[in-house]
Amino acid sequence: MNDMRIAERVVDSMESKITARGVQVFYGQNHALKDVDVDILDKTVTAFIGPSGCGKSTFLRCLNRMNDTIDGCVVKGSIKIDSEDIYDPKVDPVQLRAKVGMVFQKPNPFPKSIYDNVAYGPKIHGLTRNKAELDEVVETSLRRAALWNEAKDRLKSPGTGLSGGQQQRLCIARAIATSPEVLLMDEPCSALDPIATAQIEELIDELRSQFSVVIVTHSMQQAARVSQRTAFFHLGYLVEFGETGQIFTNPKDPRTESYITGRIG
Amino acid sequence: MTDVSGGPAALPVSKPRRGSLLTQDALTRRRNAAEARFKACGAVAITLSMLALVWLLFSIISIGSPAFRQTFLTIPIELPEAKLDKSGTRDPAAMAKVTTVGYAAVIQAALTKAIKEKGISTDGLTPKDIAGIVSLEAPAQLRNHVLANPDLVGQTIDFEILANGRVDGFFKGRVTMESARLDSNIKPGQLVLAQQLVEAGIMAQRFNWGFITFPDASDQRPEAAGLGVAIIGSFYMMIVVLVLSLPIGVAASVYLEEFAPKNRLTDLIEVNIANLAAVPSIVFGILGLAVFINFAGLPQSAPIVGGLVLTLMTLPRIIIPARAALKSVPPSIRDAALGVGASRLQSVFHHVLPLAAPGILTGMIIGLAQALGETAPLLLIGMVAFVRDYPGMPIDGFFDPASALPVQVFSWTVRGDPGFVERASGAIIVLLVFLLVMNAVAIILRRRFERRW
Repeated sequence: MNDMRIAERVVDSMESKITARGVQVFYGQNHALKDVDVDILDKTVTAFIGPSGCGKSTFLRCLNRMNDTIDGCVVKGSIKIDSEDIYDPKVDPVQLRAKVGMVFQKPNPFPKSIYDNVAYGPKIHGLTRNKAELDEVVETSLRRAALWNEAKDRLKSPGTGLSGGQQQRLCIARAIATSPEVLLMDEPCSALDPIATAQIEELIDELRSQFSVVIVTHSMQQAARVSQRTAFFHLGYLVEFGETGQIFTNPKDPRTESYITGRIG
Repeated sequence: MTDVSGGPAALPVSKPRRGSLLTQDALTRRRNAAEARFKACGAVAITLSMLALVWLLFSIISIGSPAFRQTFLTIPIELPEAKLDKSGTRDPAAMAKVTTVGYAAVIQAALTKAIKEKGISTDGLTPKDIAGIVSLEAPAQLRNHVLANPDLVGQTIDFEILANGRVDGFFKGRVTMESARLDSNIKPGQLVLAQQLVEAGIMAQRFNWGFITFPDASDQRPEAAGLGVAIIGSFYMMIVVLVLSLPIGVAASVYLEEFAPKNRLTDLIEVNIANLAAVPSIVFGILGLAVFINFAGLPQSAPIVGGLVLTLMTLPRIIIPARAALKSVPPSIRDAALGVGASRLQSVFHHVLPLAAPGILTGMIIGLAQALGETAPLLLIGMVAFVRDYPGMPIDGFFDPASALPVQVFSWTVRGDPGFVERASGAIIVLLVFLLVMNAVAIILRRRFERRW
């Protein structure tokens, strides 16, 4: 997947998994995100692109309420997953995050064994009844994250001893071990070399069969390679959102065109 | 590429524009000189502090180590039934009627007999002088021994009795014939007798376990003074401090660092904790006196009160490093835990706290070590009292009067008898050994924890 070819446009589903309407985010006085409307489809890879500070990571972190941990962050508007408002006071963010997994920019495995890293989510959510089931979940997650062959003989060694790309795949395995429905990825390849990046991108494409994947990326080539739909953010506004092919070949907004041709950003 | 001679023809070489690299210019020389001066200052500072430390240790050890050796007399002592157990029942309650005066007479008789048997002349010494080379504490020790083993009455036992502090000091070089002439407590003749007893094999120095195990003794008998009560008191206080300040300190720092909202109130609390850590410790003694003794009615001189006061003093000193340790855990670990759906409590207890544990532990042990060496607040709550009874077993023992190691050092240094000088330095050695052990434990625990992660 090292070419600039645009990923297949086959969108398996036209059901909207996440519906965001009129989302505003404030960090104290700073109005970080202005009036964003997005529909994220089920079993689709959606890429968020845009220059630094445009609000794409902020929006991503709204989707599983990771912004709650930031002091002074206020989110307005409605974000619905399966038509349930995730900012409803009745929603427990813990339950939400079990449903919406997240992979971060920097690989951040727990300083524990590889096995414990993957088993942690299922354990705290009570997804397995015994050790055998847990072993199975760990194995399938590591297999799906394409890490099983490298890690199966060293499950007890610390996850922090893996290479950067392996650590990131471990984080992906950890995120999918809780069987989420949506997987959020915040620049998952920015700390990786091209080979590890290619592995992760392949993986994202495979994960699409089960999850709705949202990926924030600085690399437009990556967005073009892995995503079916692309959203372009600029200065806190959602400028354009549509099929990846259309965004990259025939953008409607002049700002999108300037960005993807390298004139702004 | 490796064949240089076959390379392209040599190009003309440019001239350096700003002077040669091979000679230092004035600025570089000045910078290097400044660096060398700074390094020299650092080396001098380190050397001075190392010398001060070595000197301190040397003086403490050279003054204090004699406290671990003590002069004893070993003589056969006849325990006559007629004097010690008139009823003949061997009942300790009945035998307790005989006071230490009665036992002093027994010891004096045995000593006179032993001296006569060895053929040592006692010309010029009264019987009282002869008895004076034995410690005032010896009759009490013999009495305790006999009351504990009543069947010994009527037998002759080999008993080790403490020599008088001045006689002991003579063998340690503290007392000389010249100083004895000016001293109303000892006569040169007694020292001559002691010297002869050593030659006869009756009197000898050996390691003094009593220094660790015996309770404190009064002004006249430094030879019998020990650290037993002080060690138990300090140990009990450390238990109280550990049991109270570890959970409270960790809970407070976790709450402040991980859960508390950042607002004026928490800022105020933060400033107050930092200020409390700098409050002179004697202030905590006044607080403890007012709150725990006068208001709550807890007993004076008790390890529980000392422990509570030291807990108050130690808490801010534990909370500050614990918060620093929690702060140093990378936020990505918290994100990772929250990202897989852990609650905040789970992310703290499963991930953040174990990672911060080595730092928290180090702060904890340093806090405990400070508490162990703290004297001033204990003076105010009556721990400076003269305590000869060992406190009981925990938990009741926490409420019994006890002393503490640093306070014992203090009270020995203000005593008149020169025998207490070596005792005070010896107690400092014991205190330093305790501190070293605690720091070693801290290092071992930290290594253990770090290896796990």
